Amino acid sequence: MKRPQAVTDLVDELKKLPGIGQKTAERLSFFMLRGTTERAEKLAQAIQNVKAKIILCSVCHGITERDPCDICQGPNRDHTQVCVVEEPHDVYVLENMGQYKGVYHVLMGVISPLDGIGPSELTIQQLKEKVEKGGIQEVILATNPNMEGESTAVYISKVLKPYPVKVTRIARGLPIGSDIEYADTVTLLKSLEGRSEML
Amino acid sequence: MGLFRTKAIVLRSINLSETDKLVTFMTDHYGKVKCVAKGARKIKSQFIGSLEAMSYIHLIYFGKENQNLFRLNHADIIQSFQSIRDDFHKLYMGIYFNELVDTMVPEAHREEDIYHLLLDALETLKDQSNVEPLCRMFEMRLLALSGYTPELNHCMVCKSLRGNGWVGFNFSKRGIVCGNCTNQAPPQIKFTTGTLNYLKKLLTLDIKCCGRLKFPKGLDEEIEKVTHRLILTHVGRELKSYPFIKNMAAVE
Ligand SMILES: [Zn+2]
Ligand SMILES: [Zn+2]
Repeated sequence: MKRPQAVTDLVDELKKLPGIGQKTAERLSFFMLRGTTERAEKLAQAIQNVKAKIILCSVCHGITERDPCDICQGPNRDHTQVCVVEEPHDVYVLENMGQYKGVYHVLMGVISPLDGIGPSELTIQQLKEKVEKGGIQEVILATNPNMEGESTAVYISKVLKPYPVKVTRIARGLPIGSDIEYADTVTLLKSLEGRSEML
Repeated sequence: MGLFRTKAIVLRSINLSETDKLVTFMTDHYGKVKCVAKGARKIKSQFIGSLEAMSYIHLIYFGKENQNLFRLNHADIIQSFQSIRDDFHKLYMGIYFNELVDTMVPEAHREEDIYHLLLDALETLKDQSNVEPLCRMFEMRLLALSGYTPELNHCMVCKSLRGNGWVGFNFSKRGIVCGNCTNQAPPQIKFTTGTLNYLKKLLTLDIKCCGRLKFPKGLDEEIEKVTHRLILTHVGRELKSYPFIKNMAAVE
């Protein structure tokens, strides 16, 4: 007997998610099928909300429900210190340390020729304009310590060279080729504390 | 199921999932090979640091002989070429070399000469400061090793060469055209016999000695026009990394 189309559709959609293969997609689909209608509706609603309610902060390009985001509006945040990260979720990785009190700037990617991403595809120009406006004392470059992240950090430090701002890079305590997303809190904290000025 | 051991150069590393990477290698013994590196994105992975593009490594992987995706077992750095990655001009040129090899070499074809060309080019890129001739030489040599050597010794049409100061070049015929034969094969570009001599040297000189090649002013652009357009004609499109070589080096 052929599987009903509705189940196949769900399996196909789930398979598009990162880390989910055919087997897992089938297991999840049948799990939803067995459960209550309420549970299925809650999940569907949560997925819709994420797209409908979450926007990008116009100041830092992080994800938020209101613009500017809580971090950019936060009264206890140090606006003279800007931490530059690759992706919106990197903000939460650093926030989880609970130590950093500055604000963020999300690049929305990293310079990567083979993916066709050059400096103009990122928010580097906006970062430059922020620094130009003044009030920022330190820019901390927290891109990943791999080839793309390193070269993007070097590029940004060159772009910011004409301005009276200290540009630092998180320490190489993180192994080359790694992803800050997967660093543990202690390693990440050490690399932030051990940051050094880019010349 | 076989276990394969070879030396290799990392051409490209991309994230496959939350934990895994897909890595393309140019190997000494087995040509271009693609491997899944399980767990390579984890910070404690044994592969960390050895899968960055351009790394020269001892590679062990396994899988069935005739499949096109293997599993990475071991990657040990012989030479990281970190100094290439630390220099903007060299970094994007290195990425361009890798992209060219990745584009022009089909998988599972033993290509020892191309492997050695890439390794020699990276060694030279690491040590040289005069890198433009290296780039031109890499383009010409890769074309030659892929079976697309341009004809530079005699006219493509009449097989003679009556030099009268300039030479024409026809890209689709991939060779020079003399003044008498321009009707049969209209040249898309004309250059001096000086340029012609440099183009010949690019095909014959030892790549490690490319530092000795100093293109006279004005000739460098003419030579680039020929070698890079040969690449474009062969590949059929511009390489993604090529514009970065000049654009990124311009930011100082
Ligand atoms: Zn914000
Ligand atoms: Zn002729």
